[in-house]
Amino acid sequence: MTEDLSREIFGNLGETSKTIFYALAAVSSGVFAWGVWRRVKLWRRGRPDNEPIKWREAFQNIRNRALAQRALRGARPKASFAHRILFWGFLVLFIGTILVSIEHYSAAALGREATDPLFHKGVYFVIYEITLDTFGLLMIGGAVWFARRRMRADSSMEHRTADWLVLASLIILGVTGYFIEGLRIIRESTPMPGISFVGYGFSKIFVAAGVGKSNVDSIHFGLWWFHSVVAFGFIAALPFCRLAHAIAAVFSLATTPKPLGQMEPISMEEVEETGEVGVGRLEQFTQRDLLQLDACVSCGRCEDLCPAYEAGKPLSPRDLVQDLRMHMEGAAPAVLHGETIGAETLWACTTCNACNDICPLGVRPADYITDLRRHLIGEGELRGAPATSLQKMQRAGNPWGLPAQDRLKWADGLDVPTVANNPDFDVLYWVGCSAAYDRRTMKVARAVAQLLQRAQVNFAVLGPEERCTGESARRIGDEFLFQELAATNIETFTKHNVRKIVTHCPHCLNSLRQDYPQFDGHYEVIHHTQFLGELVAANKLKAAAVMNETVTYHDPCYLARVNGITDAPRTLLPDNLKEMPRSGCQTACCGAGGGRMWFDDPAEERTGTGRITEALDTGAKTVAVSCPFCLTMMTDGVATKNDQVKVRDVSELMLEDN
Amino acid sequence: MKILVPCKRVPDPDQKLRLNAETVGIDPAALTYILNPFDAIAVEEALRIRETAHPDAEVIAVSIAPAEGEADLRTALAMGADRALLIEHNDPTDPWNVARLLAAVIEHEQPTLVLMGKQAVDDDANQTGQFLAAQLGWPQATFASQIEFIDDGIRVHRETDLGIEVIRTTLPAIVTADLRLNEPRYASLPSILRAKKKSIEQTTPAKLGVQLELRVRLIGMELINSQRHCEKVETASNLLAKLRETEVVG
Repeated sequence: MTEDLSREIFGNLGETSKTIFYALAAVSSGVFAWGVWRRVKLWRRGRPDNEPIKWREAFQNIRNRALAQRALRGARPKASFAHRILFWGFLVLFIGTILVSIEHYSAAALGREATDPLFHKGVYFVIYEITLDTFGLLMIGGAVWFARRRMRADSSMEHRTADWLVLASLIILGVTGYFIEGLRIIRESTPMPGISFVGYGFSKIFVAAGVGKSNVDSIHFGLWWFHSVVAFGFIAALPFCRLAHAIAAVFSLATTPKPLGQMEPISMEEVEETGEVGVGRLEQFTQRDLLQLDACVSCGRCEDLCPAYEAGKPLSPRDLVQDLRMHMEGAAPAVLHGETIGAETLWACTTCNACNDICPLGVRPADYITDLRRHLIGEGELRGAPATSLQKMQRAGNPWGLPAQDRLKWADGLDVPTVANNPDFDVLYWVGCSAAYDRRTMKVARAVAQLLQRAQVNFAVLGPEERCTGESARRIGDEFLFQELAATNIETFTKHNVRKIVTHCPHCLNSLRQDYPQFDGHYEVIHHTQFLGELVAANKLKAAAVMNETVTYHDPCYLARVNGITDAPRTLLPDNLKEMPRSGCQTACCGAGGGRMWFDDPAEERTGTGRITEALDTGAKTVAVSCPFCLTMMTDGVATKNDQVKVRDVSELMLEDN
Repeated sequence: MKILVPCKRVPDPDQKLRLNAETVGIDPAALTYILNPFDAIAVEEALRIRETAHPDAEVIAVSIAPAEGEADLRTALAMGADRALLIEHNDPTDPWNVARLLAAVIEHEQPTLVLMGKQAVDDDANQTGQFLAAQLGWPQATFASQIEFIDDGIRVHRETDLGIEVIRTTLPAIVTADLRLNEPRYASLPSILRAKKKSIEQTTPAKLGVQLELRVRLIGMELINSQRHCEKVETASNLLAKLRETEVVG
């Protein structure tokens, strides 16, 4: 009985209508293509991207992040749900339309009558109708949800009038589509109309309202044209409205994202040739950077997570990307630095990577910031305390400018082996500047060294030969100071045949792991919590015992989010750990990354004050950390609020029980 | 308009200093030098004047140092100075003779403004600017925390022990920079490399026609023992007892 099931394509429409329809389709696609080309031309102003497209990864990325909408996990569950149903609804209707056109052209090519379809019939037709009617509802549902959300939104939601048009078009297209289906059911007396269940419902209403064989043709004809004109208008408007993000997203997701925490090196030759460092003009961004500006739909997920924004600093990653996008479009102001993007905005970033991580479409706000910072550094725009720290790194190899001979002061009385007196070490303990010169962090190094000694690890430290990794210099934008320091350290590693490095500093860890291989420094680098974890697993050490008081653990950005190390520190901590709302890879920044450590903000104005409150709100009496910068920020921040709470490195807590 | 900025090379104050064997100076081994921070402030101010009030200004950095002193002039050039002059001299000097050398340069260069640090962080003498003004017979404004250009000269805010003193002077003049005048810009490696392309003019005291006659002679130096012994006492009377014990109070 399903044999007769089908519908006539272009039913109720004469040849003139078809001609006008195709003419409009051509105009609409033309405007669409022109709109896309306008954007492509803007993107092509950038430097060519040397990174070749890895097709396999590009395909997976588009499949997972766009088609499967997996990129929306982790934040704003309601809006994500609405986006998913809208997207999937739209996608299925779009595929449905393509199937109809395939049917139409292949039937025509085979010389079949319009009433004698090739495959758009029978069981296929049943499935088709049920599916499309269902997904149409999803699309309308998503659009209505978004419209409601937009009506209720506060000023934080970026809003343009055109956004209403987008949502209205989607709703109108969906609803009129069902109306036309209902009218078609009346007109063609389609058998089994129940499979087009929404349209069938409308057909019942229309019949009740007096629609019959006598007037259905003209109403169907009018509504069909209304639907078509709206659809063509929608297609033409796509590259000009917010939905353009979907087009740019395909390109954006096709470029393989760099791992978090990795930066693009610049060569000195390049700088000598051009006389410029970093991005001073828009054209110095890569083409990929520029097309990603268009992938930004201004959803604000990055802003929700930005610690600088939370602390009231003049930075919102969303605004930064949107401002760059406006600048790319040629909107005023015409000057990039100082007018489009202020220096204070750029310095505010802690490079915590939360924005880079959350963006569903692969936009990397923090990467624009580091590129732009490089220009500021090249122009001598950095002043005050951080400038002094860089100068000191340059001349003394550490941010405090203190003598290299003092690098072993922390180990007084501990008999810590150095590469000089224990050249056959298995693992190098990288101490870092903070533990070498900061009195508080010295205690962390003492704890780590004592634990290593107790577990009888054959380790050594570089002592006076160690220099700053240059991590914060690189992220503040001073690429060449970083490269100079890295070259010195790599030479030292080679000299002492270093293969495995353990460090208690996640910034050093990330730099040694991700920055140094770019300059031929390849080592196995692990965090002290991982190494101590191995020793606990091997029964050479004990984890920290359960304490009577509550303990919470603050994940460092560069350990958790950037390098994915979240379990190791927890295995060393007592079981009665009280987690903060933002923990693991979704941690919140203490405020010291990206060179912010060297800015002399008063403790109460620092980025990360919100994090201090969050830690104290757990009621914990001890805040465990595993990063020297977090230790400093947490200690200072806690001291302004509650002097009963202690901040301890994981290794210090362990030392009490070993 | 020319702005002359004398730049002194000083031992890095963050590093550990050792006396030489004769204890009449600092052991030069393993000693690192920097541009005197107050002079860096003076360079910065000269650059700001060029960037704002006087775009035509030429900024000239001058140093009296051994040949290696070039490095510190490079810092000034990297920050943005237009030219640099090294008066090569290996022996000790004193503020009076430094002023004489600078006066000779000034006679030749005819700058409108001499901007220099109020003192150098090595000997903290705080004399060269004043001597230079006296030798040239120019007005001076020392310890400047703000410099404004006005019709017939400059208005300078001076940081004195009693507060801010505002004075007005005609040009040419000598101005010495205090800490709060500005925050110097950071010269990164690319700008240092770019500065390498700028040439540094060389001269000597003899070529300038100056015969140095030292008025100050360093006889000896000694290290102060900075080792401190700390102890926590429970009560005020214990504290008093301790102080009596160590004969701090009688």
